[in-house]
Amino acid sequence: MKSVKKFFQYDNIGLLFVLPAFLYMLVFVGYPIIDNIILSFQNVTVKNLVSGSRDFVGLKNYFDIFKDQVFIKALWNTLFFTVSCLVIQFIIGFGLALFFCKNFKFAKAVRGLLMMPWMIPITVTALIFKFIFGTDVGILNYILQSFGLIQQNIEWLTTANTAMFAIICANIWIGIPFNMILISTGLTTIPKELYESASIDGSGKLNTFIKITLPLLKPTIESVLILGFIYTFKVFDLVYVMTSGGPVNSTHMLSTYSYKLSFEMFKYSKGSAVANVLLVILLVISILYLRTTTKEEDA
Amino acid sequence: MDDDKKLTGKTNIIFCIISILLLCLLLFPLFWIIVTSLKTEQEIFQIPPTLIPDTLNLKSYAAQVKSGDFNMFSSFANSLVISFGAMAVAVVLSVPASYGIAKYRFQGRKLMLLGFMVTQMLPVSVLLTPMFIMFKNMHVYNTPLAAILADATIGIPFSVLILKNYFASIPRELEEAAYIDGCNRFTAFVRVLIPIAKPGVMVCAIFSFLYAWGDLAYGMTFIIDQQKRPITAGIFNFMGQYGTKWSYLTAFAVVTIIPVALIFIFMQKYIISGMTSGAVKG
Repeated sequence: MKSVKKFFQYDNIGLLFVLPAFLYMLVFVGYPIIDNIILSFQNVTVKNLVSGSRDFVGLKNYFDIFKDQVFIKALWNTLFFTVSCLVIQFIIGFGLALFFCKNFKFAKAVRGLLMMPWMIPITVTALIFKFIFGTDVGILNYILQSFGLIQQNIEWLTTANTAMFAIICANIWIGIPFNMILISTGLTTIPKELYESASIDGSGKLNTFIKITLPLLKPTIESVLILGFIYTFKVFDLVYVMTSGGPVNSTHMLSTYSYKLSFEMFKYSKGSAVANVLLVILLVISILYLRTTTKEEDA
Repeated sequence: MDDDKKLTGKTNIIFCIISILLLCLLLFPLFWIIVTSLKTEQEIFQIPPTLIPDTLNLKSYAAQVKSGDFNMFSSFANSLVISFGAMAVAVVLSVPASYGIAKYRFQGRKLMLLGFMVTQMLPVSVLLTPMFIMFKNMHVYNTPLAAILADATIGIPFSVLILKNYFASIPRELEEAAYIDGCNRFTAFVRVLIPIAKPGVMVCAIFSFLYAWGDLAYGMTFIIDQQKRPITAGIFNFMGQYGTKWSYLTAFAVVTIIPVALIFIFMQKYIISGMTSGAVKG
């Protein structure tokens, strides 16, 4: 009894406050992660999914997926998609942040409104872009035609490369506000005196940008890019709604292929193995992120 | 680098004009579906397309209320139940948790904090099959509860990490004053600290709601009956069945955006604060 009392001295009472949330996450996230790893070493079908014994097959699922062309394609797609989106949305977001840090009348209000694309459900975004990129109904084809850039309507979403392009465009649209607002916040932390003394020293605008803005913004840029990588790399809804991985598996990401294997083809174990590959890549990046941020956090 | 000096005269006007042009360009997709949802099916396919509907057509909205298997408003209601449920679970659990993490240095604190951080980065793919099995065994599969339980796992880590900063910034003296006034740790937390951290709690509630509202993967995997599914899954199904019925589809999309737009209009300051301090989307 005494030791129990001692345990609940001041600081350990905190544990009582944290425990409910922690246990919740342990049950609904921690356990599934472990279970998913176990699943990937077994042979699980519709029959033995919920009950019944599951055969242990070792690394077979992993060997199988790495021999699977669609998986390799999905892995490559995910990387290509992530890097393309990151680069473009970062550049546009950065440009907008620089623009809106000028103190003109509409600056705050317009910047606020530009957050909208980031907030609306991704399913809706996917629908909007499916509509814009539509072959006959889409306004994009109409615009391109009226400028004489194309002669015939492009079948954006039913051709492999153009479908990927459309998905990337949609994702960049979601990502721009995220980049813009974080870089805006980063810019406000740079002391104004630095710019003043730079201009007294006769430093040009570009020079000031390269010598002062970029180096001081480095922590912000790092976290924007790493967080951006994590959220882009696990993209699911957008691709699933826009193309479902099609045409002919050409736009599958790791997440959508994993979903297809598990919930459309009922190869649960292979789906789990694909998800675990996704998880490992994300964990590596997350560790990188935590390393850069824990310096600032009091963790 | 916020230039303190206000731009005046011509420069101010030029910047304002450019910003409006940027706004029109970047928000055009949103404008476009709202306009489309008010057109007739015929006009949608008309070339050249009309920027403003020739004839105002509200039938796409009206038809949704009646038609059976894809009733927009019942899936809207499903989404509300799921989102408020997930929000409640997330807030009730994460408010005390973030207070505990911010104010007490107990054993295992760092590990738990790390746990919350890592869960934020998890892909939904890893959790779907194990959760599916778990919910079947718990007999909550195909009920709103399944989506609520799953969606709350996105809101909780986000909320804990945001709110812990709010609680950490509250001076210890305030809490001690409450003890002197006869509060114990629990009543001090409820009566003194939570009211002070209220803006933070609002941020968490809003984001937990939005995460759940925007979720598709959990809603469509754990709820199988169309009548019980959330609105995002409703749209997805509808697209599969009536893929080219754009008047209905865009009306469906607009209805889905309404709560988000309302939150955006009335609570913008919380959203910006949530994005910059947490900088996370599930």
